[in-house]
Amino acid sequence: MTWTLLRGGRLHDPTNGVDGEVRDLAIQGGRLVAIPDESPTEVIDASGCIVMAGGIDLHSHIGGGKVNLARLLLPEDHRDRMGGSNPCALGDNPLELVSCGHATPGTLATGYRYVQMGYTAAFEPAMLAANARQAHMEMGDTPILDHGAYVLLGNDEHFLQRLAEGAPPEEIRDLIGWTLHATKAMGIKVVNPAGISAFKYHQRKLDVDESHVHWGVTPRQVVQALARGLTDLGVPHPLHIHGSNLGVAGNIASTLATIDALEGLPAHLTHVQFHAYGKEGPKKFSSAALQLVEAVNARPQLSIDVGQILFGQTVTASGDTMRQHANAGLANPRKWIGADLECEAGCGVVPFRYQEKSYVNALQWAIGLELFLSVRNPWQVVLTTDHPNGAPFTSYPHLIRLLMDRPFREEQLARLHPDVAANSALKDMKRELTLQEIAVMTRAAPAKLLGLTDRGHLGLGAAADIAVYRDDATDRERMFTTPEWVFKDGRVVARAGRITATPVGGTHFVTPRFDDERISEHNGGFAAALRERMARNGSVHPQHLEIGHDELCACCRGGRLLPTACFEGAAS
Amino acid sequence: MTAPPPWTCPFCPLLCDDRDASAPACPKAEAALAASTPPTDLSARLHGQPVPREQALRVAAEWLHAARQPLIAGWGADVAAARALYPLASRVGAISDVCGGEPLAQALRAQQDRGGYTTTLAEVRRHADLIVCVGSWPAERAPRLFERVLAGRETPPAIVVLGDDVTAPRSITVEGRTTDIEGLPTGQDLPTTAALLHLALTRPQLCADERLRALAERLRSARYAVLIWEPGQLGAQAGLVIERLQGLIGRLNLSGRAAGLPLSGSGGAASAQAVHTWLSGLPLRTQVGPRGLEHDGLRLSTERLLADRAVDLLLWVGTFPDQRPPDGDRPRILLGPPALAQTLGHESATVFLPVGTPGVDHAGHLVRCDGVVMLPLRPARPSALPSVAETVNALLAALQQLDAVEATT
Repeated sequence: MTWTLLRGGRLHDPTNGVDGEVRDLAIQGGRLVAIPDESPTEVIDASGCIVMAGGIDLHSHIGGGKVNLARLLLPEDHRDRMGGSNPCALGDNPLELVSCGHATPGTLATGYRYVQMGYTAAFEPAMLAANARQAHMEMGDTPILDHGAYVLLGNDEHFLQRLAEGAPPEEIRDLIGWTLHATKAMGIKVVNPAGISAFKYHQRKLDVDESHVHWGVTPRQVVQALARGLTDLGVPHPLHIHGSNLGVAGNIASTLATIDALEGLPAHLTHVQFHAYGKEGPKKFSSAALQLVEAVNARPQLSIDVGQILFGQTVTASGDTMRQHANAGLANPRKWIGADLECEAGCGVVPFRYQEKSYVNALQWAIGLELFLSVRNPWQVVLTTDHPNGAPFTSYPHLIRLLMDRPFREEQLARLHPDVAANSALKDMKRELTLQEIAVMTRAAPAKLLGLTDRGHLGLGAAADIAVYRDDATDRERMFTTPEWVFKDGRVVARAGRITATPVGGTHFVTPRFDDERISEHNGGFAAALRERMARNGSVHPQHLEIGHDELCACCRGGRLLPTACFEGAAS
Repeated sequence: MTAPPPWTCPFCPLLCDDRDASAPACPKAEAALAASTPPTDLSARLHGQPVPREQALRVAAEWLHAARQPLIAGWGADVAAARALYPLASRVGAISDVCGGEPLAQALRAQQDRGGYTTTLAEVRRHADLIVCVGSWPAERAPRLFERVLAGRETPPAIVVLGDDVTAPRSITVEGRTTDIEGLPTGQDLPTTAALLHLALTRPQLCADERLRALAERLRSARYAVLIWEPGQLGAQAGLVIERLQGLIGRLNLSGRAAGLPLSGSGGAASAQAVHTWLSGLPLRTQVGPRGLEHDGLRLSTERLLADRAVDLLLWVGTFPDQRPPDGDRPRILLGPPALAQTLGHESATVFLPVGTPGVDHAGHLVRCDGVVMLPLRPARPSALPSVAETVNALLAALQQLDAVEATT
């Protein structure tokens, strides 16, 4: 049987405790295997190169209605410089179909650009159940990358009503399990718990212990119920939380209250840069990064991703209509899209230009970096820009250099609003992340947090998703921009920045065990509840809520289905 | 859930999925199903003569291969069709536009200039206490609209129809409950009406029309006001009207709640728009040009390109009732239901490839009017007709063969 020898690379494989050792890898049948006895069919010389598993982005808005709305809203994003007059230049690679954009590229371009950077998987964090088919199709049309999505819960009227009526935990657990099953999701995300719904009832803010004006429930109850249900189901990825009061000065109080609401249950707090603000200082806006870090350092069951902002034009796309409506006045260019969605959630798309000379933006930049550099355990931190909300994913190599190269970071800091540069804790942070820590934050930790046992590492039996970077200690940005080789399931898909093959990626989803009887047509319980739910809060037939395996396969262009089992022994 | 899932009606923007195709109880669905009777002649045609499908596909591929500036128009099919058509457009360097593209382009332009706030069917049913239909009676084109948004409501919303020359009933009855329809003619054209209503809300002292001031006050005090409009019924300045209405909604949302429900995107247009946008990054009326992708909602319209003879080949896709290829003298490749062949008139320089209608002949998906919900379609009858997606993929394969031949000679 043919096999490929990847020879002489320096491996960074934190999952298996390999930190910069020169080792050979054998690739056979799309997997990493022990070096076979027969001679290799192909030898790739990786000497002088850093070898890591393919990158995994666990929070990137790559599929679903709101990203597409952002594309519709911003045709200028698809010209040479945003707003320039020339179209994005055509590539010269006949393997690539024509697709373009910077902050919200077409799905085709999204796949090509991720893979060119050495990423081999990305996860859409805010899939709407009513829009799940489209989200899966968009991800299926994102070439090469494996993908999956977290489905939104915690703002749909049925859930809030049942919570208000005191539904037993088993019912909430089965609702979560059924929602994951029906939409073929990888996890559950809650966005501004109960707040998106509250906005439909005229509320303009909702603190963690404040009651939803109609249902009377609080964000604390929503977070608790969802985190408990996911734990009971044994879903590997814990509750993915976009907390209350995003972007509001002083929101560290809400963020800490949300952590408190978890009562020790595991959770992933997403784009925490937007949730770590104090209200100290002359501008009543300050960094609360260290307060958040203290809470994270003390709780190994928590993980975060940062949602780093980087300067320049982008667009924010969020389910958080309450906060996006509040921020719409800052839209640049001055236009925005909002929507209320199917009694489930909402959507707000606000274009944004982060500016170095803006005190607030500069401080946001510094807060993100403070978070990266002060969480003690890198396994609790995932590298994200919340693409495209903080910056497009294509800026990851720049972000990596900021984290690994202190003089470079200080050079950038010196260009910012002077008050930020003078007062930020960042200026005193000497830490430079190591290649091993970057490998944790960009591959190993996200794989672990998602329950992907055969991805994110280079051990025997792992999928041969591999990025091979030419080592360049002087310019980590250049190094991480253009790997020499990228392998997807053992196949070279990019060589020195050029796409060489465009296989269809696979779809990750969880297969939670929940009470099957409860969804039987002939059983009163769950099916009746679903019918009732759709009769009052829906507009499609209950049988159209569920995406079967065949349909999922068609949505995802025939890519492989990659079910992830839930933890054994979870409560049933 | 073991019972077979219900049929989804593909014939209007609402995509109702609660009734069987044998008894849709909707005049539009009944008429469309009656019009798409099972075909007797499935043959492809070249210049009006029946030919084997392979031959028609080969000729079509040769024409596409030779064309200097093809136009892919219509896009009147399902999501799978659009997912096949864009790779074809990318491959041959085409311009893409949908059937009835003008209202779609006007609505998009308003959105690209100012954005907007919209809602979906379930939200309207749950929250709306005041519905204002602007410029038309939408049930003419979406017969079950009010049934869908009033069913199960204990207190139905007030319904107002704003604009002149709108024929609306005086009341509608849903689930045995009758709701009055209030007509509000203004004696003005729609752009003026929309501007005056905006004025009545923002600076009421300057608006002389008492009834518009009263309506503005009702909108302001509504718990959740919904404006419904049909871009295709708003006239030549639809974009301006929509922009005004969205300005009004934005204003209402400063202190209360309101949202728009545009009704459009039937005949596969909403699906085509979504798919073209996600694959390429840009909406329809985009050219895969030598300099890259160029989007121009004014310049790249089907009618204009054909009138200017700015394209040298038309590939047209239209599988739904009333979708007919545009006039023009360009050579054309037509994908439509078999019955279309009988109504083409001239067939010089024409390749005709019969295809099925999604939701009638084969399964598929469509995007609903609100652009949020995508529903699966099921065939309403057994059919041997290939889908648009299958046909376009066969065209792509034939094109690849031509490339291979060219590369070796």
